[in-house]
Amino acid sequence: MSDAAATRQAYRSSPRRYAFLAAALAIAVLPMVLTGNYWQTNLTVCAINVLLALGLDFILGYAGQLNLGQSAFYGLGAYVSTLLITKLGVPFWGAFAAGVAFAGLAGMILALFAVRLRGHYLAIASLGFAVIIHQILLNWISLTQGPLGIYAIPPPPAIAIPGLPVIDFRNPVALFYLVAGFALLTYFILDQLVRSPIGETLTAIREDDISASSLGINAAAWKVFAFGVGAAVGGAAGCFYATFVGTLVPDAFFITESFTILSMVIVGGMGTLIGPVWGAILLTLLPELLRGIGDLRLVVYGVALTLVVLFMPGGLVQAAQLIRSKLTGAR
Amino acid sequence: MTATIVAQQAINGIVLGSLYVLVALGLTLIYGVLVQINFAHADFVTLGAFAAYFFMHVLGGSYLASIGAALVVGAVLGWAINVTIFAPLRRKGSELLPLIATIGVSTIMQNAMLSLFGPVPYAFETPYSQKVFRVAGTFFTLQSVIIIAVSTVTIALLYAFMKFTFLGKALRAVSQDRETAGLMGINPNYLIMLTFILASALAGMGGAMLAPVLVLTPFAGTTVIVKAFAIVIIGGFGNVEGTILAGLLVGLIESFTTQYLDPGLIDIVVFGLLLLMLAFRPTGLVSERREENV
Repeated sequence: MSDAAATRQAYRSSPRRYAFLAAALAIAVLPMVLTGNYWQTNLTVCAINVLLALGLDFILGYAGQLNLGQSAFYGLGAYVSTLLITKLGVPFWGAFAAGVAFAGLAGMILALFAVRLRGHYLAIASLGFAVIIHQILLNWISLTQGPLGIYAIPPPPAIAIPGLPVIDFRNPVALFYLVAGFALLTYFILDQLVRSPIGETLTAIREDDISASSLGINAAAWKVFAFGVGAAVGGAAGCFYATFVGTLVPDAFFITESFTILSMVIVGGMGTLIGPVWGAILLTLLPELLRGIGDLRLVVYGVALTLVVLFMPGGLVQAAQLIRSKLTGAR
Repeated sequence: MTATIVAQQAINGIVLGSLYVLVALGLTLIYGVLVQINFAHADFVTLGAFAAYFFMHVLGGSYLASIGAALVVGAVLGWAINVTIFAPLRRKGSELLPLIATIGVSTIMQNAMLSLFGPVPYAFETPYSQKVFRVAGTFFTLQSVIIIAVSTVTIALLYAFMKFTFLGKALRAVSQDRETAGLMGINPNYLIMLTFILASALAGMGGAMLAPVLVLTPFAGTTVIVKAFAIVIIGGFGNVEGTILAGLLVGLIESFTTQYLDPGLIDIVVFGLLLLMLAFRPTGLVSERREENV
């Protein structure tokens, strides 16, 4: 009782709480500063990519499982929720829950391979899984309409609370608030998770799963858990993507998408939660700022990824720490 | 009639499979010596194909010479990726960092090629695709005869090199135990470089011969490389005989799936087989010593 109260007290006064408030404030203010359709679209893309990166980071950075199948969970979330809405008329939030659950389940199935395989084998198994899902989306034409795609996906229904103005998600700003708010909530939950004993358990498995097992940790079960959570977050991003873009084609979930998400996590700094957030934002906005150089702008993903691995494996987070220690050291 | 169809698809499968073997052998060689995966191998295939295309269609060289040109391009790229990525990261001793770095290199190469060559597929025509032979109801093009001949000779030379020459034996020694091989006076760095050059030359060559059957875009290599990964795992990582067997098997699966099921199911069948192998027999068709990853 007093312990819990002390924790709550510590949390209230911790800089973490102010960071969350600052992030919420930034989300609230950004669409007012960056007005216009172009920037508001980019803001929502950023929020979706943040979700994708957070999901992968939980599997890769915390549980240490090299998953190259994040594009599959993204695609499953998008297609399952959309098909439930357009074919069966399921309400948006029901379809959203189903899409998230389905992606999470798919992650747990892939985790059954992760339990037996590691390193390169897992990388290729998860890549193979992503290829299979992409090919199913492409070839199951009676269900997904294959390469023709699905069009006119409706936005989430408007929320009308008596006494408040109606929130209509056809308004891009409202949709941004929804996705970014969900990303912030996800960050909050994952932050609680990784700082709980569960986070320590996952880290122990990442560092050495045999030693972890010898301490009585059920490494297999925790890997399944990590894959389930990370894939479900990816699935949520997929649901938002479908309703945001309004059209779905299988090639949006080609395996190269997995590489893009991986770049965001690595460039930001894997094994931290804040790193992938900045990585996702940077790698979403940077190519937009470089539109002037044509297709060559997409090279920045590869350049950023390669340079970070070679010279700063901790990513932006490591760079920030380095700068901070230089500054305080000089003082 | 059915026997002819089966024979025809067997021929098609073996032609395609022998090209997959060339590409997959490179991955196997690198994995054997370094226990590393090179994702940019895909783009060596693509760049090999483009090198052959420009050598033939712009410089006016012959097709056979263009295979040689692609081989050289592949070899140079192999040298470059070893110097820039694998050699510096080897000192850090991480398993995953080099893999991730090669994904970065692959993204750079694909998008650089995209801005140079554009997304529209190139039509790669060889003078040999039109010359058709008929043997007992089945058709061969001269192109497929060349593919079979060049890849068989290449694979045989490689095999003989690995089995009978001093360098080949040293290479196998390094792949079995790098430290002990070092104690025997073998310089592993030199051999690792040799492996990269050999492996990437194979990829470039494979690209030149795959070019007429691929949709030649900057992303062409990706579709080949995911199959090559499947082949390497089905055959048993780092195992040369297993890779050859699995490569031909995947070629046959592809041609028979096209004939009897649906071309769209090829990747699903191949990767379904891959996942089954990983679940039940992760050491591959031809099992070997290396089990620390399983």
